[in-house]
Amino acid sequence: MEQSWQLDNPILGLIVVGATFVLFYIVGFISNRQSKSAKELYVGGSNVGAITNGLAMAATYMSLATFLGITALILQLQVPFIMLWIQLILAIPLITIIYGTSLRRMGAFSPTHFIRDRYGTTASIIAALFMILVSIMYALGQMIGIAITFETLLGIPYITGLFIFGILIVGYITIGGMAGATNNAAIQMVIIALMFIVPLAAIMKAIGASGWYFPPLLYSDMVPAMMDALPSFFDYQFSPKWYFSIIPALTIGALGLPHLAMRVYTASSLKSARSAMVWFAFILGLVFSATYAMGFVGVFATTTQGVTISDGDADKLTIILNMVYNPEWVTALVIAGAISAGLSTLSGNLLAIGALISQDIISTLKPNISQRLNLRIGFIAIFAGGIASILLAINPPAFLVVSILWAFGLAGVTNAPLIIVGVWWKEANKFGAIAASVVAGAIYIIVSPFVFPSIVLTGHAVTDGMGLSGAMLAVPISFILLIVVSYITNRMPALSGKLTKQADIELIERIHGWKDIKAYRYNSTIGAGITVVVSAAVAIWALMPWGM
Amino acid sequence: MKAYKKEVQFTIWMTAAFILVGNVGLIFSIFPVEAMLFGFPVMYIVPILMGWFGVFLLTLIAGKIGNRIDDEIERENETIGHADEAKEV
Repeated sequence: MEQSWQLDNPILGLIVVGATFVLFYIVGFISNRQSKSAKELYVGGSNVGAITNGLAMAATYMSLATFLGITALILQLQVPFIMLWIQLILAIPLITIIYGTSLRRMGAFSPTHFIRDRYGTTASIIAALFMILVSIMYALGQMIGIAITFETLLGIPYITGLFIFGILIVGYITIGGMAGATNNAAIQMVIIALMFIVPLAAIMKAIGASGWYFPPLLYSDMVPAMMDALPSFFDYQFSPKWYFSIIPALTIGALGLPHLAMRVYTASSLKSARSAMVWFAFILGLVFSATYAMGFVGVFATTTQGVTISDGDADKLTIILNMVYNPEWVTALVIAGAISAGLSTLSGNLLAIGALISQDIISTLKPNISQRLNLRIGFIAIFAGGIASILLAINPPAFLVVSILWAFGLAGVTNAPLIIVGVWWKEANKFGAIAASVVAGAIYIIVSPFVFPSIVLTGHAVTDGMGLSGAMLAVPISFILLIVVSYITNRMPALSGKLTKQADIELIERIHGWKDIKAYRYNSTIGAGITVVVSAAVAIWALMPWGM
Repeated sequence: MKAYKKEVQFTIWMTAAFILVGNVGLIFSIFPVEAMLFGFPVMYIVPILMGWFGVFLLTLIAGKIGNRIDDEIERENETIGHADEAKEV
C-alpha cells in the first residue's frame, strides 16, 4: 500500500513556517528603509560585508532543490548525479575571478548592464529577454516546490498554497529589495545549514551510523552494507563524454546566471568580494557534502532498512527520512528550512527580473526617465515577475530540478560567452554578440526535448532534459560565432560606422583597473584563435554518437 | 606590461585549476581507480573532498593573488601618471 506522507499536526508546521516568514518580513523592512535609488534596490548600495555576502551567495545558489530535488535524483541516478552536482560550487569563484570583479569595478547592476555598455542596445535587449526566460524558469521551479511542500506536507491545497504563500513571498521581496534580500539570505543560509545537517545527524544516529556527529563526511561505516545491498551504487555508469559535457552545460552555464553574478556586485570592495567567495566555498561545500550524505542515507534506508518511497514521493526523500526517524517538531523545522531555501533563491531571481526589465530594457529604450519613476518601475517589475511565476505554476511542468538545470545551459549559451569574451577581448563586437546569442540560443532550444522531442542529441531523457548534450553543442557554437563574426565584421569598412571601437576599448581598460590605454592589452588574436579551435572540436564531439 | 601579463595568466591558470578540482569525477571516468580511502571508494570520496576543500583552498589562493594583482595594476597606473599624463595609445 502506498503511504501518504503528511504531518499529523499541520498546525505545528504552519506555526514554524509562519514564524520564519515574520522574521524575514521584519529583516526586509528594516534593511530596506533606506532604499531610495535603483543602486540600493539591486545591489544593496554595494556595501555588503564579506561574511554576509558569502552566506547570501550560498543561500541564493542553494535552491529548494537542496531539500527536494537533488536527493531524489541521487535516488534515481546515484553517483553520477553527485559527480554532476559537485562542480556547481565553482559558480561564484569562477564568476569572481573571470568577470565579477571587473563588472563590480564598472558599477554594473546585472550582467546585461555590461552587455548594453559593451555591445549596445539590441544585443543587450536580446540577452535580457533570454535572461528573463532563465530567471522565470528558475523562479517557477521554486514557486512550484514551495506550493508542493505546503500541499503534501501540511495538507494545504496546491492552488491555495501557491497564491497565499506566493503573494506573501513576492510581497516580502518587493518590500525588502537587495539589502533586505541579502540580510535575509544570510539568515536563511544559517537556517538551511542547521535544518539540514542537525536532523541528518539524528537520522544517522537512529540508523546506527557511528559518525553521526559530523554527517557530511562520516558515514563510511554504512558503505559495506550499501555495497552488499546495492553494489551498483558507486558505479560511474556513463562515459567520460557525459562527465565532460557537465563543464559547458553547468560550469559555464552558472557563469551566465544573473542572480548569482549580481551577488558579486553587492560587495563593499573588490577585496570583500574575494573574501565572500571564500566563505561561499566553505559553507556551500559543507551543505553540498551533507546533501550527498542525505542521498546516500536515503538509498541506504530504502535498500537495507525497509523504508519504502514511491517514485512520486522521491522528491520528498529528505522530509520523509525525517518523518521516519525524527520527532514531528524536527520535521516542521526541516520544512521551514526547505521553504527558506526556496525563498532565498526566489528573491535572487525576482530581483534579477526587476533589474533586467527596469534597468536593461526600459531604461535602455527610454534613458531619460526620472530616478523616482525608474525605481517605481523596478518595484513593479519585481512584483510582476513574481506574479508571472505564480500564474505559470498553476499548471506546473514535471521534473523540477531537470528544468532548472536546463535553464543553466540557456544562460551558458546566450549570456556567458558574451560576458567572458566581452571582458577579455577588445575585438568582440555587437554583430558577433547578436549572432552568438540568437543562433546558438535557437540551436540549444531546438535540440532540447521540450520543443521538438524527436530532435535530440542522445535520446537519453535526463541527459537531454538537463541540457547536458544541447549545451555541449551550443555553448562552443556561441563562442565560435561571437569571435569569428566579430573578427570579420571589424574588417568590413562598410560596417565601421556602426561600431563603437574606441568606447569599447576604453571600457575594457577601465573595468580591468587601468587608467591608460595600451593596444597590446586584451587583444590577443592567438587566444581567440585557440578558443575557436577548441570550441570547434567540442562541438564536433557533441555531434558524434553518445552511445547512451 | 608585467601586471597585465600576470592578470591574464592568473585568470587562465586559476580557471583551469578550479575546473579541474571541481570535476575530478571526469578524471576518474577516464582513469578508474579501484582503491578505498577513509572507508569509501576513492572514486566517490576524492571528488567530494576536492569539490569542497580543494575549491576552498583555491578560493583562498585566488583571493590573495587577485588582491596583489590589483595593487600592481594600481602601482603601474601611478608610474604612468608620473611619466606622462597621456591617455592615448
